Amino acid sequence: MGELHWGLPVIGYLFLAGMGAGAMTVSASVLLRGGGGFFGGQHFRIARYGALIAPLPLMAGTGMIVFELGTFQVGMREFDFSLLFRWINLFKTLNMSPMSIGSWVLGLCIMLSLVYAWTFLSAHARDDDTFRQLRNALAWVSIPLGIAVAVYTGILLGAMPSRPFWNSQILGLLFMLSALSTGVAGILFLYAFHRTEENNHAARHDAGYILAASDAILIGFELLVIFLFIMFAHLTVGDPAHAIAVILPGGSLAVLFWIGVVVFGLVVPALVELHHVLPRLLHQKPYLVKRWVEVAIGAMVLGGGLLLRYVIVVAGQVTGPVGI
Amino acid sequence: MSNPQPSTSRRAFVKSVAAGAAAAVGAGVTPGPVQAAVRAVQYAMVIDTRRCIGCHACSVACKAEFDVPLGETRSWVEYVEKGEYPNVSRHFLPRLCNHCSNPQCVNVCPTGATYKRAEDGIVVVDADVCIGCKYCIQACPYDVRYLHPDRGTVDKCDFCLHRVSQGLVPSCVNTCQGRARIFGDMNDPDSEVAKILATNPVTVLRQGMGTEPNVYYIAADHSDERDRRFDNHYVRVTTHRRAEERR
Repeated sequence: MGELHWGLPVIGYLFLAGMGAGAMTVSASVLLRGGGGFFGGQHFRIARYGALIAPLPLMAGTGMIVFELGTFQVGMREFDFSLLFRWINLFKTLNMSPMSIGSWVLGLCIMLSLVYAWTFLSAHARDDDTFRQLRNALAWVSIPLGIAVAVYTGILLGAMPSRPFWNSQILGLLFMLSALSTGVAGILFLYAFHRTEENNHAARHDAGYILAASDAILIGFELLVIFLFIMFAHLTVGDPAHAIAVILPGGSLAVLFWIGVVVFGLVVPALVELHHVLPRLLHQKPYLVKRWVEVAIGAMVLGGGLLLRYVIVVAGQVTGPVGI
Repeated sequence: MSNPQPSTSRRAFVKSVAAGAAAAVGAGVTPGPVQAAVRAVQYAMVIDTRRCIGCHACSVACKAEFDVPLGETRSWVEYVEKGEYPNVSRHFLPRLCNHCSNPQCVNVCPTGATYKRAEDGIVVVDADVCIGCKYCIQACPYDVRYLHPDRGTVDKCDFCLHRVSQGLVPSCVNTCQGRARIFGDMNDPDSEVAKILATNPVTVLRQGMGTEPNVYYIAADHSDERDRRFDNHYVRVTTHRRAEERR
């Protein structure tokens, strides 16, 4: 059993930053794709929710990861301000370390998400208001930047041969899909809470339909990538095969992974989403879903995303190369 | 429209290429001493495990030299026991930073706090720049780095840079009772290290990681507890560290 040098702050950061970046990317995509028209203004409302959510998890996650820094911990213990703010060294240089590039990308992403959210801040924000041009320009930048934040965390973990569980080319893709999926789930979760009888009509459900359908597709891709992630490692020999055994049946993290992440975090919410989405998709029936179902789906996908980060971060540290 | 005049004629171009080729050929036959003058120093260590008696004097000397905090280690000795009675063996494997020629820890450091010194090839950590993100601890295949609990920055073996720069050998080498540790510039053909490397079969740890370590072992037992899965042999590794299992 290896020591856990990266613990809950890193797990929380990977989840929150992924979710924030995902919500920002989804918001920008929906804004640029749908504008204000096709679903009777629902696209704009989804984009607004995503934009307003995004900065909070991004900043909270970044705040959490600072707590994992050794200098910050000693700085708090000793009341040493030079140690508390030692993390500024990250921004005194830019090198090819995934963490260096990621810090800059994350910093830019947070600033962008704040400005982007500001354009949506007014309760009377509309697609054709004075912010339209700025908002659309920011949205174009938000998509690559949000995806960069989601992907770089996978590259950061995957760049080390010394950690064979993480050392997979597909980990970045898995984190990106999980970020987008949890971003959609975050929007869905808040949207469901704001459901009122007044907007509980067909137009209101269009937004829920778009979100649930997108989430189901993203979860489908995520399951495929998880399958590839496991099979590539399992079918090889040596370090990766040895490491992946920790989440395969009999491994110490197998139950948490298969029951927590795959079943309750991905398969069940996806099936519930499909159960509600397919009648409308195939038979043009109205999209009807109870509020608690939407809340439950959102919570399950978010919980699954957090557990996925937990399992991956822990599994990478309790496994290592074979032999010396 | 007039034809543009080339700035260099074809004849001049061919001449310049020919002159460059001649210069390149000339450089290839430059006599040895000229090349030796620009050769970089690369400090290396050879550990002859046949001479190691597992006394931990090196571990203790290292602890004392750097006042290494309780529970942490810069250098340590592992015991490798294997086999079933009466066919058994016990070997000792002294461990320290490998000062790799392709150090993964340096590649991942986001602040440039850890770097490989150009003048002697020693991989060091600048404690004034390090932020304690522990990325290098994750990236090191040899698990030689630790977070200093009092400073919050990463620390590890630096081949006793303060001693080596004064012409002394590292503390662990100085104290080794069996003279199992040999230290020097492997690029200097007259050094003891270079002679031993040239005349003995040596191995490095986890060669497959591509880190090109500069700590070499003679007759090291590379058995690992996890090998048991494959060949059903009894292997027990005692790390003598807080982390009771190798990474």
